[in-house]
Order: sequence, then structure tokens, then C-alpha cells
Amino acid sequence: MAPSKGDWDAVISFCEAVMLAKEEAWCVREQASSRPSRRGRHSGQRRSPDDLWPPSKMTSGPYNYSYIFKYIIIGDMGVGKSCLLHQFTDKKFMADCPHTIGVEFGTRIIEVAGQKIKLQIWDTAGQERFRAVTRSYYRGAAGALMVYDITRRSTYNHLSSWLTDTRNLTNPSTVIFLIGNKSDLDGQRDVTYEEAKQFADENGLMFVEASAKTPGVNYRFAIDAASASLGVLTTAGSSQVSECPEAAQAAPSLFAPILASGIRAAL
Amino acid sequence: MEDVLDEIVSSEDLQKFEKVFHEQLHQGNVTHKAQFEYAWCLVRSKYPTDIRKGILLLKELFNSHPDGKRDYLFYLAIGNARIKEYNKALHYVKSFLEIEPANQQVLALERQINKRMEKEGLIGIAVASGAVLAIGGIVGLGIALASKK
Repeated sequence: MAPSKGDWDAVISFCEAVMLAKEEAWCVREQASSRPSRRGRHSGQRRSPDDLWPPSKMTSGPYNYSYIFKYIIIGDMGVGKSCLLHQFTDKKFMADCPHTIGVEFGTRIIEVAGQKIKLQIWDTAGQERFRAVTRSYYRGAAGALMVYDITRRSTYNHLSSWLTDTRNLTNPSTVIFLIGNKSDLDGQRDVTYEEAKQFADENGLMFVEASAKTPGVNYRFAIDAASASLGVLTTAGSSQVSECPEAAQAAPSLFAPILASGIRAAL
Repeated sequence: MEDVLDEIVSSEDLQKFEKVFHEQLHQGNVTHKAQFEYAWCLVRSKYPTDIRKGILLLKELFNSHPDGKRDYLFYLAIGNARIKEYNKALHYVKSFLEIEPANQQVLALERQINKRMEKEGLIGIAVASGAVLAIGGIVGLGIALASKK
């Protein structure tokens, strides 16, 4: 899968050559585009509900969903995080998923208890060199999907480290799910269901074994996940905001739709 | 927040990785890791000058650290797209796809860039036609005033 060094070298030198040739034209374009009409959009407040819910979206007509939930997918390299995401968002299995670069983004709208919920999923790269920066994506997550590979024990052994990160970097109301992926490869199993279930119970995690190859499995799981988050939101959401300053700070990203004024009315 | 091009780094993160990078720079020994982490934050900044700085750092990495080339290429595309250098961004995307033609992450980025180009192209046309109408109006007014005399 890994391309040789020569390939990349050839590519970049080609790129650079083309760019040099066009540099002048680009400079002109840049001047013309340096006064974009939407400039104000990015210079607004930071860490506001807008982080999750851009104004352009809000003003562009009626919404077809009631809430946005941010989810992150974490776990070791090669456990199938991106395959789970693609099965869920595109409804297809990709046999040969290349390593994710940084983070990948996907959305899907699901319906839970009569509420349309948009799941905004951030799939993080499992490779160690990305880990320092991907930690910043935990912030404001309504749920964390922690994935291991049932055929590779090492990926299970590392769960405690992923769990520590999740606990430290999210807020207490973030729902954490444990997913034992590649359940179709039962013959090569290296971690028993019982063992993982016990780990999940001890740490208060929801647990399921799944296969990114099976259509529908993730959908069912996402429904459970969203129901849990919805439960958290409806029981704790609004009261948390007014009482505890810390929660108020965490809440805007987690429960953005509720706080953004007028949104509920727009539904 | 609809795609990776909208995402903005928090100022705390940017400062955190900037600090590590500058400390290493001061000691005269910058690691690929520190430079990449800083550059990755810079290209997600809301300020074009930060993004341009990130692009420079990524280019440097691309030429000095072969192992990370696909990562650097990907973020070079993102950085350029974010400062509306769409043609440059698409060049990086196309180069990437020559080596990994089925990479969904990069194909998705390509679609987003094309979508933006299209959208902003339309805005450009609207602004231009607005200007034409305005000029037309002024000329028309001029003619009307002139014919009154």
C-alpha cells in the first residue's frame, strides 16, 4: 500500500513546476480574493455554538434535524475505525482502507424517539504521530466510540490508555461506547466477549461486538448511542448550563442546538 | 461545521504546539513531529497568515522527511484550499490520487474543494452582474439627465 519514496518525489516536483509556472496568475487572483464578502464569518466569536453550528446553516432555511451530536471514533491503528464510519455514512464496506490522515469527517441523520438527530462523526487517525493533535478533537463530544479489534489482543490491551484520554478530555456527560470490531472473524478471535463485557461493565461503558462488513449493525448501534446521548441531554442539559460555570463552558459545544437561540423555535 | 475545511483550531492548541516548536527551534533541533503538529494547527487557523506559515512548514517537511509525505501532501491541499488557492489545492489532491486513487478521505476533500469553487464562482458572477446593473443604472440616469437639458 505504501507508495515508494520515488513516487512522491516525482509527484511533488511535478506539482512545484506547475505551480511556479502559474504563480503570477495566482498572485493576481489572490489580490482579487483578499476581500472576500464572507470575511466576517470567521472573525466572530470563538468556541461559541457556531463551532458546531455555522450561522450560514441556520439562516439557510428550515432544518431537517433537531440536534447535532458530535461523536469521535478512537482506538489503535488498523482496528477498522474508518471502515465503521464508511459503513455507517455511505452504507458500504471498504475492504482496503488506507491509514487515515489526521481526522476524517462524516455525518448522517438518524431518527431516535421521533427526534431527527444529525450525528457529526470525527474519525481520528490511529497512528501514534497524530495522537497529540487528535486529542483536541475530543472537546465537546457527546459520545466517544472506542474501537478495538477482537483478533488482535494488543488493541484491546491499549484500551485503558484510550479510556484515560477520553475521561480527561471530555466532560462527565460524554457517553463512551466500546466496540469490538471484526466480529465476522470469529475463528481468529483473540479477545473473548465475556472479558471485554466485564471491562465495559467495570468502567461503565456501553459495549457491542460488531463487524464493519455487516450493513445495518452500525445503524442499530448509532441509534443506541444517540438514545443514550439524548437521555443525558434531556435529563441534565439545561439545568447544567445555569448552575455550574464549568458545565456552561462545556455545554455550548455538546448541546449547541439548545443554546443557540431561536433554533428550537425554527423546528 | 460541515466539512474539514470549516474546522478552526482553538487558540489554546495553536499556542501549545507553537510553544513546543519554538522551544525546539531555539535549541536548534526541531523534530519532524513538532514541526508537523505546529503546521497542522496553523493550516486550521482562521488567519490566512498562519495558514501560509503552515504551508511553508509543510513544504519544508515534504522535502526533508519522506516517510510522512502523504500526510504533508494532504494538509498542503487543505491549507491551500482554506486560503482559496483552489487550483494549488487541487494539484496536491490530484498528485495524491495518482498514488492512492481510491482514498476516500482525499476524494471527499476534492469534492469539497470543487463545491467551494463552484459556489464562490457563482458569487463572483453575481457581484459582477450587480456591478454591471449599477453602471447601467448610472449611465441610464446620465442619459436621462442629459436628454432633459
